[in-house]
Amino acid sequence: MKKGGIILLLGVLLCAGTFAGFYYAGTSCCRGLMKESQPELAWLKKEFNLSDAEFKRVTELHAAYLPQCAERCRRLDELNTELHHLLSVTNTLTPEIQALLTERAKTRSDCEAEMLKHFLEVSRTMPLEQSRRYLAWAEQQTVLRPQSMEQSHHEAQPAPHHEHH
Amino acid sequence: MKTEHQIDPDEPLLRALRKWEVSEPLPPRFREQVWQRIARAEMPSQEMVWARLSRLIEAALPRPRFAIPYLAALLLLGVVAGSWAAQIRTSRLDATLSSRYLQSLDPFASVTTPP
Repeated sequence: MKKGGIILLLGVLLCAGTFAGFYYAGTSCCRGLMKESQPELAWLKKEFNLSDAEFKRVTELHAAYLPQCAERCRRLDELNTELHHLLSVTNTLTPEIQALLTERAKTRSDCEAEMLKHFLEVSRTMPLEQSRRYLAWAEQQTVLRPQSMEQSHHEAQPAPHHEHH
Repeated sequence: MKTEHQIDPDEPLLRALRKWEVSEPLPPRFREQVWQRIARAEMPSQEMVWARLSRLIEAALPRPRFAIPYLAALLLLGVVAGSWAAQIRTSRLDATLSSRYLQSLDPFASVTTPP
């Protein structure tokens, strides 16, 4: 191969090598996160600059919250199934359905309250600035966000067969 | 220099050409085909392009004033493209993990869509 061809090839190899090196170095934190047993918590540690002690506390809170959350979800599923069954056998709003709706709303409200409580507990383990940022982010990204349901209600209104209750 | 009295040696030919009349009609799309042949003849073949490119590379790249900027440009391209691709990958993973964290806590995560 002539000299010009060698330099051409060298340039291409140099480009490919630099690309691979910078990509590998730039994604090393990603690979580190994915190797953790709970990558989402490892992400939380990285995102909110938690110390090891703070992270340990957050992990404990997380582990304590999940079974309770699962139990509430199971209860909500039960109520939904029950409601579905009642709605399939009647076409009127019976006191039983009314009671079920109330209980489901109460369970949902409990879910939201417990979730908020968890977010507040987690935020208290963080430094003040990160705590504020975490709470704002959590509120914005979850059902705690103000008027999220009302927004979806408004978005649904232009639908042709939407009935206003 | 020609004068009026001199006889042009091509004169008989020119006279004959002037009298010549083509009675046969031209084949269909004759003009278009002629132009296409001219265009094909003017177009450099792929081999010629490669040969020219190869000559250009052999002439220019061994010179430091071309080789150094060429290598520097490709090095820079590798750095920028690698960093950019890594940034995209990291951002996607961040979004995925933050979403997974929230879904593990928020039972209504599937119905909650942030703006």
